[in-house]
Amino acid sequence: MRAFVASVQEVFREAAARWTLIAYFALSTLFILLFAAAVNLDIVNGALAGMKLFGQTVDLPDRQIRIDELVLGFESTFSGVLYFVGLFLALFATAHLVPRLQEKGTIDLYLSRPIGRVSLLLSRYTGGLLLAAANVAYMIGAIWLIVAWKTRVFHPRFLLSGIVILFTIATLMAFAFLVGVITSSTAVSLMGTYAVFFLAAILALHTQISAAVSTEIVARLVEGFYWVLPKTAELGKATVALVAGDEAPARLTIVNPVAIYGSTALFGVASLGLASWLFSRKDF
Amino acid sequence: MATPIEAVGLSKVYMSRFGTRRITALGGIDLRVEQGQVFGLLGPNGAGKTTTVKILLGLTRPTSGSASLLGLPASNPESRRRVGYLPEGHRFPGYLTARQTLTIFGRMSGMDSALVRRRAPELLERVRLSEWADVRVKKFSKGMTQRLGLAAAMIHDPEVLLLDEPTDGVDPVGRREIRDLLQEEARRGKTVLLNSHLLSEIERTCDRVAVLRGGRVAAAGRIEELTASGSRYKLVATGVDDVLLAAFRETGASVQRVNGHFDLSARDLDHVNALVDRLRAAGGKLQELTPLRTSLEDVFVDLVRESGGGAHGAPPNPQSGGGAHGAPPSPQSGGGAHGAPPSPPGPTSERPS
Repeated sequence: MRAFVASVQEVFREAAARWTLIAYFALSTLFILLFAAAVNLDIVNGALAGMKLFGQTVDLPDRQIRIDELVLGFESTFSGVLYFVGLFLALFATAHLVPRLQEKGTIDLYLSRPIGRVSLLLSRYTGGLLLAAANVAYMIGAIWLIVAWKTRVFHPRFLLSGIVILFTIATLMAFAFLVGVITSSTAVSLMGTYAVFFLAAILALHTQISAAVSTEIVARLVEGFYWVLPKTAELGKATVALVAGDEAPARLTIVNPVAIYGSTALFGVASLGLASWLFSRKDF
Repeated sequence: MATPIEAVGLSKVYMSRFGTRRITALGGIDLRVEQGQVFGLLGPNGAGKTTTVKILLGLTRPTSGSASLLGLPASNPESRRRVGYLPEGHRFPGYLTARQTLTIFGRMSGMDSALVRRRAPELLERVRLSEWADVRVKKFSKGMTQRLGLAAAMIHDPEVLLLDEPTDGVDPVGRREIRDLLQEEARRGKTVLLNSHLLSEIERTCDRVAVLRGGRVAAAGRIEELTASGSRYKLVATGVDDVLLAAFRETGASVQRVNGHFDLSARDLDHVNALVDRLRAAGGKLQELTPLRTSLEDVFVDLVRESGGGAHGAPPNPQSGGGAHGAPPSPQSGGGAHGAPPSPPGPTSERPS
């Protein structure tokens, strides 16, 4: 257990020493500051009287907008943005964890210690996930506080968006680990994982794509891919819907949440399982 | 106590990328190193030294055979709890200081933080890095990195040390210190397996050696046994004239004048004594009679040349798997080598023992 904990701590130490941690949090801070500076609200008697975005006055509709209604809409939209930003930053910050571990002259130092290979890989995964979780918590927490400070509206559902974001990060990071174990390349890990992200997002339109293709085999292939890959587009919608709650528009409703979350989790577990198996059998 | 290092019938065959070629790195070796020994593993590049060490540490899986450390199978991570390893060309994270490096690798070896904090300064002192304890490793010279590697291998006070080229890049004084340190560890009952190209280092440090060639043990045993040159002696004496030399030769001895002394070959010890008696009887006076030895380098070069210097891709031959046992040599084993007795050294330059 000591070895496992030491390895997790090493992920953080490495991230700090190599500027990854600083860059990761600096970019997140920049994002938060931009948000804080961009939005300027004028609230009178619990209703929005005026609004400026990046210094420009926003034309408000004639009807009166309740401030809690505004915050809800604002935070739910923003959770969608955070889903992408958080995901991309997390993958950038952690994609090197396996390739660097497998470098000649480094891997021997770790594997010659009394720690199992699967434990070593999972400790790196845990470290990466904790790093990503800290960053997601930082971004969501900071934006939530800024909104609360500017509007005096505390909407805790916004904080829940972090759970779906972290779930998606965990899934894609598992795939990045798998590619990392196979190729020992940070660049290929990143490219492969982003490819899965975008391909899966496109396959959210699998029904339309299947209907449009000319042969049955291709249609089945599209369906097959859809169910194998993580549901990145649906999870993005789910993030927004989770924050919006009952106010979420119908287009954000996920028809079969168990299948969406279940198949995505299965993809992550299978990727991590396969990565662990390959790592444990590899000759160094 | 369990045998510190043991390998039985160890073989490793690598396949080329598309499985079209088989490359035999190890052709079935036996190896046994007893407690308190400093054992040297020699061989040309590609002979299988590093593969052997990697299999012992579970870094590489053998194709067949078994390996164990302190009685536990090499595949079991627990077998490495009491083992320290210094890999060749190791790369410690450059952002860590020497102290942090020892802390991390100590904790990865299962030590608690308090114990690491106590032991790290002692070890840094032993490898002469105390003043550099809080300097980042990326500032270190190669020799310093090597010494830090040795400290990291020893941080958890292991019973077995596996060291791959420990003196690589280290200056002569540092080498001497490392040698002393390893011998001190051996005196404390620690077992050391040394893998090195520096034959003079091996000769000075190790009790026993095994020479690998083409993935097999070509020779093994105590260094004195391997470098013994049969009944050959350096003779320095007065009163040796041609008549006496002819008399020596009549008894079957071979004697030659070399740079002011005589190179004498006799059948056995009794024969040598008889020759000395004859020298005295003829009025000559013995000044020096020393058994001649070849250097380990000569033995090594001869062994490598026998196989044409090649060490790659030798096909495995299950009938002749060589072995090297660190146990005291038995008369049957030709000085501790099983299956592949040490080859007699050729007529190379000798040096007195």
